[in-house]
Amino acid sequence: MPGVIKSVLEEELQNSLRMRKDYESALSKLPQGCLVEKEIRGHKYCYIVKREGHKILHLYKGKLSPEEIRKYKENKPLRAKYRHGLSKVKKQIRFLIGVLRGKESI
Amino acid sequence: MEKSQYNLCLEILRRFDNKGLLSDFILIGSWSIVFYEAYFKKKPDFALRTRDLDFLIEKPHAIKAKVDIPDLLKDLGFVVSFTGKGYMSLSHSELILEFLVPEKGKGVEKPVSLPTLGMNATALRFLSFLSENVIQIKVEDFKITLPHPVHFALHKLIVSQRPERKKDKAIKDRDAAVTIFKALIAKGDEVSLRKTFNKLPSNWQKMVIKGLDLSAEPQLQDILIT
Repeated sequence: MPGVIKSVLEEELQNSLRMRKDYESALSKLPQGCLVEKEIRGHKYCYIVKREGHKILHLYKGKLSPEEIRKYKENKPLRAKYRHGLSKVKKQIRFLIGVLRGKESI
Repeated sequence: MEKSQYNLCLEILRRFDNKGLLSDFILIGSWSIVFYEAYFKKKPDFALRTRDLDFLIEKPHAIKAKVDIPDLLKDLGFVVSFTGKGYMSLSHSELILEFLVPEKGKGVEKPVSLPTLGMNATALRFLSFLSENVIQIKVEDFKITLPHPVHFALHKLIVSQRPERKKDKAIKDRDAAVTIFKALIAKGDEVSLRKTFNKLPSNWQKMVIKGLDLSAEPQLQDILIT
């Protein structure tokens, strides 16, 4: 039975490694940053807020079409899901590597 | 079992049901054991399960509903995943969803397209045996289709004897089969077990017996042979 458990864990590790790649690829395909609408003198202007290292950048996008705004809004919860999934998968990888190493430190 | 994993599984089933797909799918693999609890009125004592949530589609071309499954599950956080040979799965940190179809004729070495579902499937041998006899289990307000536990157990023993099966995976198959065998016997389903076994081709029967032999379960062998 220990051999079976080990092989299941190894299979799960391979799955998690593949998943990490998939989540990273899915995240890279989503447009970066968060859309912020600012009202200046009665007109709405869009900015993309994103982080670059420690800096927070506000990139001016001007007036976007409702379609583009909808896309950004749709992608926001999706990015959160993917990030959450990626974080979970990374924890699984650390755990599985640790378990499979036995007494070695992680 | 993690509650979030079970809840995610239920949400997938619920969405398939809402789209009218669930009647075309048979839930197979280790996740079917979870739902056998309703059949046995007791949880089968088998804890080892991977994240693979496998659905068997017996007649892929008979599916009428046009549903883009990756799109249907996208907001749950599923991402499309491809293996080197182009086999597709939907991955989530909790579950990995795959579709399987029975292999016909000489078999195919490439994925089987499921155009109405926006997915592809893996064709595997012996799967038609699982769809030969199915049961329906009520979960919440919908019903899921599972292979009959007799077929599930015999199938596990048969595939465990395939030469290409890895040793550890074969042991896991046999353990799952023995668990279900014992649950069937406890439920008084020996006659159905024996009848199904007697209908199997002789080479399949030999694989079953060999599987039980390797599991060191002579009493289960006796039940089948007598």
